[in-house]
Amino acid sequence: MSRIAQELFWLGRNIARAEHTARMLDGVFQASLQGRPDDPAGVRLGWGSILAIMGAQADGRPVRRDEVLTRLTLARDEPASVISCVSRAREGARTMRDVISAEMWEAVNTTHLALSAGDLEGRMQMGPYSVFQYVKERSSLFWGLTSRTMLRDEARSFLVAGGRIESADMVLRMLRVAMPIPNDEATGVRDGQALALLQAVGGFQAFRRAVPAPANAGPVARFLLYERAYPDSVAASVDAVHGALLDADAAPRSSEPVLRLSRLAADLEFRGRAAAEDGNLAEASSLVQSELALVDADIAERYFAGAGAALGTVVA
Amino acid sequence: MHASLYRGLVAPSNLRTTPTTRTARTSSSDRRTWDPVARAARISILSTEVTSDDAAGYRPPRGHYDEVFGPGGIPRGHAVGLASEIARLGPELLAAAGHRRDAIFVQQGITFDATGEDGPVKDRPFPLDLVPRILPAAEWDHIERGLQQRIRALNRFIDDVYHERDIVRAGIVPWRLIVSRSHFARAAHGVRPPGGVYCHVAGCDLVRDGDGTWKVLEDNVRTPSGISYVLENRVAMTRLVPQLFQHHRVRPVDHYPQLLLAGLRSVAPSAEDEATVVVWTPGPMNSAYFEHAFLARQMGVELVEASDLVVRDDVLYMRTTAGLRRVHAVYRRLDDDFVDPLEFRPDSLLGVPGLVRAYRAGTVAIANALGTGVADDKAIYHYVPEMIRFYLGEEPILSNVETYIMSDEAQREAALARRTELVFKPTGESGGKGVFIGPSTPRDELDGLADVIRAQPDKWIAQEVVSLSTVPTALPDGTLAPRHVDLRPFAVFGEQIRIVPGGLTRVALKEGSMIVNSSQGGGSKDTWVLEEDDGRRPATGDQHLHEVIPAGMPGLRYGAEGWQSQQQQQQQSLASPATAGSAPRADTRCETSPQGEASQC
Repeated sequence: MSRIAQELFWLGRNIARAEHTARMLDGVFQASLQGRPDDPAGVRLGWGSILAIMGAQADGRPVRRDEVLTRLTLARDEPASVISCVSRAREGARTMRDVISAEMWEAVNTTHLALSAGDLEGRMQMGPYSVFQYVKERSSLFWGLTSRTMLRDEARSFLVAGGRIESADMVLRMLRVAMPIPNDEATGVRDGQALALLQAVGGFQAFRRAVPAPANAGPVARFLLYERAYPDSVAASVDAVHGALLDADAAPRSSEPVLRLSRLAADLEFRGRAAAEDGNLAEASSLVQSELALVDADIAERYFAGAGAALGTVVA
Repeated sequence: MHASLYRGLVAPSNLRTTPTTRTARTSSSDRRTWDPVARAARISILSTEVTSDDAAGYRPPRGHYDEVFGPGGIPRGHAVGLASEIARLGPELLAAAGHRRDAIFVQQGITFDATGEDGPVKDRPFPLDLVPRILPAAEWDHIERGLQQRIRALNRFIDDVYHERDIVRAGIVPWRLIVSRSHFARAAHGVRPPGGVYCHVAGCDLVRDGDGTWKVLEDNVRTPSGISYVLENRVAMTRLVPQLFQHHRVRPVDHYPQLLLAGLRSVAPSAEDEATVVVWTPGPMNSAYFEHAFLARQMGVELVEASDLVVRDDVLYMRTTAGLRRVHAVYRRLDDDFVDPLEFRPDSLLGVPGLVRAYRAGTVAIANALGTGVADDKAIYHYVPEMIRFYLGEEPILSNVETYIMSDEAQREAALARRTELVFKPTGESGGKGVFIGPSTPRDELDGLADVIRAQPDKWIAQEVVSLSTVPTALPDGTLAPRHVDLRPFAVFGEQIRIVPGGLTRVALKEGSMIVNSSQGGGSKDTWVLEEDDGRRPATGDQHLHEVIPAGMPGLRYGAEGWQSQQQQQQQSLASPATAGSAPRADTRCETSPQGEASQC
């Protein structure tokens, strides 16, 4: 059913977004407490940039770290906050208790309840790590239970497709802010940001094992964009979305999103091989991101169009 | 007994030391309360007003240098921010953070086995004290230059010992003393390691004397351990007490594995592509195994044991699932004695037969190089200032602790006459084994010791007692007390000598104790080296930083309705193009970027 597919797709996206937001905030927060070897000012990622990554506006005032942290984690009226993502995921899961497994529902529901109860603001003030860590763990639990308890059918494909497309989008958003710009004099700054980013997404050890180069901006960006062996890279996520839709689509050979994903995957493969030291990674990730937005549109059009008609949404 | 010992430190009449009556005290006549709001206000108005009195009646002992509080209990200039932040935190929150720390450390397996009063204790959380030690930039600059100078001289010395012996011929260090060292390796004779580097990894122990001057206590150039705790401590601190970083810009330490890997690669011989580097551990039973695994993981290289390695035709290989693979550089974490049963101890099961041949053939770099231990010896330590003058023609930047060589008769007899005032150390030992501390050893034992020393004078040195500096340290209840510390900075010598800012501060957790060894009740502290401005400028977070907002970043979508509305909008726009742009929606695909530039889609 179209509506169910759409709900599952967004359930996946919301869970993945909550986790990536927590990871990003955690990484930037930790990194902001220290300087960097070649950059005394530390990870000079303004907290305004973080708001921008999440599509939230700074309304012209100077941006304070603690405000950003609270707003993107606990603010219920901020749609991009972790708590809003979890709350939307829980609502989605609630309407699909018959489709997802009972254990998956419990996992989401417990996360939602735990974030709503208790002195979270106090915990954020003492050290946000414990809150972020909780969100990361609960998200992993959800995906673990998905692979253990949910039938490998069309429903699961849409859930996975949603999670992976969100994952790719979030990594691209972070990369575009921490990305090396050719001929940029602030290389040291960007190297520090790249290391923080790598640690935030949890890819530090994987990077170390896969890439002999130091964790500077260029190698890190290439790794996060093109390294298929690393599960959270953009290329791996695109592959996963592609695979999920191949399974779910009744006629994949004539499916616009599947075809577009095939082209994107091939393009990433090609770029990954060709990516020399001077490849313009900022431009590449910008292109990949807009291509993903088109995939997103194609998915909505091909699979969810019926859902909208059923819901009867009307624009004033 | 412990509890009373800890509390005895703090004046019992001082109500502020007991963390239980916080709310009651807020309304009491004592205006200096732990109430966080009141304190925050007061501190932010005049931060220099904080004194050691605010830190729970903290009293540095006389005759020792306290690294946070100067004379009169006033925080030293670079530590004002830290002192005020600790005072603002208060004992309760500090104690709570301590509980969280223990939980996290047990969860992450950062534990060690210790011997407590009730016998051996397994898996104790590594005792990280939550009050950091803080060093201003200028002081660190001095230490860093001093250590680089010292390591350069030691490296020259090792090279000299196994080649020309200039220093012996110049009559500065007696050859008899060198060859009699247990770490003198005949196998290293005439071999010059790649890049001419012997001590790739060094950790010199530093102490601060009563007047605040830094002195080198010993040089560790065999397999100095502790760097993993430096890195883990920093991560733990940023998670547990991020508030403390508020007023300071602290230099990072997490690039150490990168430095080490680059250092090892830079000396790896004959690697056509990327050099293969491995960390060689004696095995999981070794007390530093956590560190071996940590370093391998952080560098992304293999952690190997002897059975994984094999030498064929003077080339070192490791056994992989795809057959043998050449190894170009080995970071070994075991002593010379065990590395090759054909050259050193024949009973060593931990070693790789033929490794020394491969090393001599120049096909593999071993870090630290074979024979480096000769510079690690306590008798040789005495001569390091002379080495600096001899090899580098410079005056030593860091001095030694006054040391007397027992093989010199005049020095020996003078030292033995003052046997109740000095420390006597056997030269070949490490980890505090066999040390006699004059002031706390019974007279008859010291008399016996004098006979032993006269019989084998080459094996002993005597040193002046150093009154180690103190740093405020949190007791289990969150109150502060002064505890003695030392410092082990870590250096990596590849193409140049790089030193990680700070190092491992070890702290004696018992009152008055100077024993900082973790197996004997010692703990550690995160060590902060500040950036140039030394915390006179607010550090992180709130300042307006470098903003990067790329053009064409699509807005986030939050669910089904976004697309639906956009479709409707598109349909409308197709129908009547004139009205399309009049009602832009936040959730459309081609949103303009926050900078206002048009997106690319």
